[in-house]
Amino acid sequence: MKTKLLLIALTCLASTSLFAADSPAVGAAAPDFSVTDSKNRPQSISQYKGKTVVLEWFNPGCPFVVKHYGSGNMQKLQEEFTGKGVVWLTIDSSAPGEQGHLTAEQAEKQITEWKIKSTALLLDPDGKAGHTYGAKNTPHMFVISPEGKVVYQGAIDSKPSSKPEDIASSTNYVKVALDESMAGKPVSNASTKPYGCSVKYK
Amino acid sequence: MVGNGMIASRPLRNALLAIALFIGLAQTGRGQTYEGRELVRAELMAEATAIVPGEPITVGVLLRMAPHWHTYWKFPGDAGLPTEIKWDLPPDWKVGEIQWPIPLKLKEPGDIQIYGYHDEVLLMQELTPPASLTGSTVKLAAQVNWLVCEKICIPGGAKPQLELPVADQNAPANEEFFARYRRSLPQDWPENNVASARWTRSGSEFLLAVESAALANYPVADFFPLPDEKVVVGHPQIERGTTGKVTFRVPIETQDPKLSSLNGIVVFGQDATGQGRNAWTLSRTGPAPAAVLSVPAPNLSGLGKFLLFGFLGGFILNLMPCVLPVISLKIFGFIQHAGQSRGRILRSGLAFIAGIFAWFVGLALLLIVLKSLGREITWAFQFTNPYFVVFMSAVVLVFALNLFGVFEISLPQTANRSLLGWTAGEGDAGSFFQGVFATVLATPCTAPFLGTALGFAFTQPGWVILAMFLAIAAGMSSPYLLLSAQPAWLRLLPKPGAWMERVKQLMGFFLLATLLFLLSVIGAQRGVEAIVWTSCFLLVLSLACWIKGSFIVPTASSTARLVSLVLVLALVIGSGLYFGEKFKETTVPSGEAPLAGDWQPFTPERLQSEIDQGHTVFVDFTAAWCLTCKFNESTVLESDAVREVFQRKGIVKIKADWTNADPAITKILQQFGRPGVPLYVLYPAGKAPIVFPELLTQSMILEKFETVTPQVAVE
Repeated sequence: MKTKLLLIALTCLASTSLFAADSPAVGAAAPDFSVTDSKNRPQSISQYKGKTVVLEWFNPGCPFVVKHYGSGNMQKLQEEFTGKGVVWLTIDSSAPGEQGHLTAEQAEKQITEWKIKSTALLLDPDGKAGHTYGAKNTPHMFVISPEGKVVYQGAIDSKPSSKPEDIASSTNYVKVALDESMAGKPVSNASTKPYGCSVKYK
Repeated sequence: MVGNGMIASRPLRNALLAIALFIGLAQTGRGQTYEGRELVRAELMAEATAIVPGEPITVGVLLRMAPHWHTYWKFPGDAGLPTEIKWDLPPDWKVGEIQWPIPLKLKEPGDIQIYGYHDEVLLMQELTPPASLTGSTVKLAAQVNWLVCEKICIPGGAKPQLELPVADQNAPANEEFFARYRRSLPQDWPENNVASARWTRSGSEFLLAVESAALANYPVADFFPLPDEKVVVGHPQIERGTTGKVTFRVPIETQDPKLSSLNGIVVFGQDATGQGRNAWTLSRTGPAPAAVLSVPAPNLSGLGKFLLFGFLGGFILNLMPCVLPVISLKIFGFIQHAGQSRGRILRSGLAFIAGIFAWFVGLALLLIVLKSLGREITWAFQFTNPYFVVFMSAVVLVFALNLFGVFEISLPQTANRSLLGWTAGEGDAGSFFQGVFATVLATPCTAPFLGTALGFAFTQPGWVILAMFLAIAAGMSSPYLLLSAQPAWLRLLPKPGAWMERVKQLMGFFLLATLLFLLSVIGAQRGVEAIVWTSCFLLVLSLACWIKGSFIVPTASSTARLVSLVLVLALVIGSGLYFGEKFKETTVPSGEAPLAGDWQPFTPERLQSEIDQGHTVFVDFTAAWCLTCKFNESTVLESDAVREVFQRKGIVKIKADWTNADPAITKILQQFGRPGVPLYVLYPAGKAPIVFPELLTQSMILEKFETVTPQVAVE
């Protein structure tokens, strides 16, 4: 029985590490990047070693992002987990001239207007961070463990729609992943298909 | 405070109302506008001029997109959402699946791939109106929701409508248009000699090898996946091999280590965007899950056979120990009547038969009503309840003690005496109730093939159930009909005497044998301890019967009778409660108990995963209390010849034990239209399951297994 479990675990591990080169596989080391945030501070993954980190791809013009901010769902989640010591990085990878592109000034305004509660809003106009993580959607979510491993990648929740009324009846995968990994448990649903708008790279 | 709150909320309510109105308006409109430009326009189109009741009609949602904007396919790709269509139709209409035309693969900056439609798409669906449709026109309406994207994405929706006349006949409409979109639908996978597809999995990469001479003519070939919800698919890489051979490498992330194939379509054409593209639908390999199986309707010869079984079973009911007391009374009645007029005897006999029929027809009607109420009626289902088995054990023991002469069942006999008494005056009514009473006693004694016949009947429509019960009633009453028509034959009946007592006692031993079987069932359900507690209860029950037989007799004083009665009741109720409590504490034996031989215990997941791996699987649905199952297992399934062929063919053996009514097993039994065990199913690799009859023979198994090709390892 035990050897069987071990075998399954090994095949899972082997299979995930081989997964698509563009997105870091669940269980793999979280790749690093360095960009500046809306307050012109440098932000990287490596500087948060020892802490749980959430990456959230963001585009204020995308209806799927609006679904989760307009309803207060995203801010509530940000507030709950930053309160528990989680580092929450909201990342805008829209290229200049594309939907959702923000200058530092516009980004600050966006934070105030939408009452964004994340640790920082990272500006990634050349898509450096986005390409490193293979982020394809807004919102596209990643959870990184204090050991620097990707423990979740995918959708914010279980109902791919742009309707805020679906939030109440859906399972928030990010919350589940955070609760499980912070309790030292393996994440039950570690990889899901993200939904939303495409990230507006150049 | 409350008042203030309400006033303060009024503007909010007005705002909500305005939003609701706006949404309402937006839904009745047919298009979506953005910054003064129409992005998507939705329209309903029908392929016929009118709706004919009961006849399917193809209807399509036509979406017209502004230039450069696109809506999505069923699987949107890296981003986006598929278009949703919700029909606003009465529930008795049937709505088919959306038929999605072959989409375009569109690339966006940042290596984002999506599948969707530019300019225009028709999403066809088959609607079937009920045959009882009335009225002169029908208004078809569908809420269509989409996500439309260019560089940015905007969700939209509309509720297009179409009014069509209802008529006896219709003519085609929009023919050319529908024909064009039908040509752009993916086709079924062709015959094996035209195109082959093979999936292999290596770690997190699925390899799909497609080979077809037809592909050699097309420079472009692609695979568009249609993954299940829990599977994350990367971008398929295409490798063109020598003529007509294409390999697709599909990166996959899934938690199912057994998964090795995907649904999807293989697309090919002269270019990647043209109208002239074709596609073949690829369904996941392996046989369809049992859920889609349909069970063939019974043919008439099968029905005739079962009715014959019912008749024979009914006849044999007369010989069952539990009817014996009544039967002997009735026979004595005949003997008493022997001197009377033939007409009178016939009338009394017919009344008795009418009683038998009345009972069975009543039972059949009750079953039909319960069945129509949607209740799960499964024959012998009650045997999966251990308390029912204990109850049956008690009944069987009490009858056995009665046959041994430990006590007399006084109430039925007095009832019978009074009934017999009536025969002097209103003889027919008396005979009628005797008939009812005889059958009431007979029902628990189902002879083995009567059980089979009933098991068959319970899955059938109402009229078959009724026919079945009538056959049983006819069988049971046939001897009386003969005897009352030809009273002279009564001479052939043996004269009553001391031998009757001996026969009764002999029957008692048969009942004790039944009791042993019931105890073994309890053991299988709840373990040895449960047998012990049940036996303790049965012992006290025997004591109570003995007290009744010895002290509650007409010769005893009324005080002695009362005391004895109280004692009997106290013993039965007290021991029932005490040992019942002990019995409750016994636990269901662990389901993971090792099975004899190389059988594996059944779980739906195990069955599905063995099928998915391309193994041939044999499932034995059985239960400890099922005698037919035990017989089949010892004479056929565990015979050397059958064991050898299992091993040689590499057939996976799974045992589904229904002793405790595992609901997962009940579900599969119902899928195969069976009310209970036994059920034997062979799932040959890649083919539809084969169901074996309830009574197995070695030759039947060997013959079928020989046609199963030897198992080839998938790896």
